[in-house]
Amino acid sequence: MSSDTQTRHDVQEILRLGQQRMARVMPDTDWQSATRKRGTAGVATMARPDRKQEAWRYTPLGFLDQAEFQPIVEGPFDALQLSDIDDLMLTDPPRIRLVFVNGYLASGLCAMAKSADGVTLSSLAGGLGEVPAMLRQQLDAIAEHNHVFAALNSALMSDGALIHLAAGVHLDGPIEILHVSVGLEQPGICHPRHLIVLEDGARAEVIERYCGLGDGAYFTNALIEVSLGSDSELLHQRMQEESPHAQHLSDLQVQLGARSLYRLTLAALGGAWSRNDVRVTFGGEGATAELDGLMLARDRQFNDVHLDVRHEVPHCTSRETFKGILDGSGRVVFDGHIVVARDAQKTDAVLSNRNLMLARSAEVDTKPQLEIYADDVKCSHGTTVGELDPDMLFYLRSRGIPADQAKQMLCQGFAQEVFDTMASQALRARAGQLLASRLLTSTPEQGER
Amino acid sequence: MMLSIKNLKAQVEGKEIIKGLDLQVGPGEVHAIMGPNGSGKSTLAHILAGRDGYDVTDGEILFEGRSLIGLAPEERASRGIFLAFQYPVELPGVNNTHFLKEALNAQRKARGEPELDSVAFLKLIREKLAMVSMSPELLKRPVNAGFSGGEKKRNEILQMALLEPRLAILDETDSGLDIDALKTVSDGVNALRSPDRSVILVTHYQRLLDYIQPDFVHVLAGGRIVRSGDKGLAKELEAKGYGWLSGQDEAA
Repeated sequence: MSSDTQTRHDVQEILRLGQQRMARVMPDTDWQSATRKRGTAGVATMARPDRKQEAWRYTPLGFLDQAEFQPIVEGPFDALQLSDIDDLMLTDPPRIRLVFVNGYLASGLCAMAKSADGVTLSSLAGGLGEVPAMLRQQLDAIAEHNHVFAALNSALMSDGALIHLAAGVHLDGPIEILHVSVGLEQPGICHPRHLIVLEDGARAEVIERYCGLGDGAYFTNALIEVSLGSDSELLHQRMQEESPHAQHLSDLQVQLGARSLYRLTLAALGGAWSRNDVRVTFGGEGATAELDGLMLARDRQFNDVHLDVRHEVPHCTSRETFKGILDGSGRVVFDGHIVVARDAQKTDAVLSNRNLMLARSAEVDTKPQLEIYADDVKCSHGTTVGELDPDMLFYLRSRGIPADQAKQMLCQGFAQEVFDTMASQALRARAGQLLASRLLTSTPEQGER
Repeated sequence: MMLSIKNLKAQVEGKEIIKGLDLQVGPGEVHAIMGPNGSGKSTLAHILAGRDGYDVTDGEILFEGRSLIGLAPEERASRGIFLAFQYPVELPGVNNTHFLKEALNAQRKARGEPELDSVAFLKLIREKLAMVSMSPELLKRPVNAGFSGGEKKRNEILQMALLEPRLAILDETDSGLDIDALKTVSDGVNALRSPDRSVILVTHYQRLLDYIQPDFVHVLAGGRIVRSGDKGLAKELEAKGYGWLSGQDEAA
């Protein structure tokens, strides 16, 4: 079909322009070339996803036709000062903070408190010095190219945080990875690539945020690899607070060792178009994954989460609790796919997706899928789509709280249950404030009673 | 007159529940409204609080001389009407302290009074907590979520103590309470009795009236008040049941 060649061309064009620019400005480093080649080959063989692919059936990609995304290789981003990103800072800023501006490490904005022995912080483009061998070896070790954008990331990965904790190391306090995107004259695309490796028994807290400075148009195409050794523990808190005109795609791929604990909280609040793919693979027995998420889709906002949880070994537990808040013509897509392999006996998995519709004109497509091949498991799923509970509204109003504020409080409460799973109090507070301010600027609901 | 209801008729989903009800409540008075299940007691309580879905088809409700009909629930609350719910609603994720503060400040704002800041509010709520013997821990939790039956009712009385209404309507506040909780809740209500505050107790059983002494007792049956008297009427009801009054139910 002609639209196929057209659309395929878009992604190819992003690749061509990106490679062209990269060749000029950033000479390839040997240790990354295998990943880049694999990515390039992937882009060549994969078409832009369309509605015929189940995983992309409800994900509109029309924006690719409307903008010619330019590669961002480097820019005058050093000019940015800490005072410029004041508004983006957490009230209690982590002592270790890696800041990326339009996909590239901005050393001047980073905070690098001395961390414990056995903690290695590096960056893909070498801004923090030469990348140690153990991180080089781990890059691209678990990434799958499940769609062309993941391959594109491998081909064009710009920069990113590389974090390694040696066996038994417990990190005190969180590490923050803060992305700041500044709108450019032409909408740009960047490909952040992060890697977090916890060796056996290590423990860490990571905050990962994607922010827009101003309301520019741009496309963030991120890929994050997380590898947890046996008995390790990662608290991973991710917040997507991109500009209202941005597109954001994150592909998070997690590999869990035996008895490890992975706790993810995802707050996807910003962007015009947002998609978060989360793949968690259980590679050792006795591991636990707790995944919580909130998706906000205000008027004209699109917010999509795809989970792919693979129980491949016995005795693992997963909890997937995702919520959507929709208003105006907002759209939420939730695809929660859990596979329990034949050998994965005693798997315990509970998936839930609850959606709060503030307007009839909003749309949610939710698809929980449990694919179970083992016979001794405890798995369940549930989804709900509902409006605000009139009993709750009346209760608040009977106490003197005006209707609009009552609605606001209930939405906030609905989301708060997700935010409360964040370890960082500063981040919880920020998530709450962001949600409140975004709900406040929402278009008022039609047909108010 | 604090509250004056004349010939009130009201429907729920097209069915007439209140069929010509008259009630006069003076300042400082405590009125008990008793009656069998389905007599319209709770409906009356909800109509006064302004719940959606109850259509007043005839009659008038004057509160301090002004009509309540058509007013939003929040406007009624700000004017001084408070409904203690029979089944207090759980609000997951909504912090109890936050809720109480927002409620108080919303009312103060509506009345043109200055809002309380966090410090002043916390000081105030601590005083009120002591009044209802409620654990401060319950302030940190989401509103009513996971509260026991007794804790929920105490939380209602706490709200009443905080919001200091002119007219408090207690809808079956005694239901599901053990004696200790009943006593604490009653003490809270009694402490709030004052010459310019009126109380309507909606209850099925006489038990609550041992703790909160009413000035008047009314029997509601078939959507009307069929008999009024003093607290002696409640004793009589306990002894004889409702059947002898309703005129419709001769079973007793």
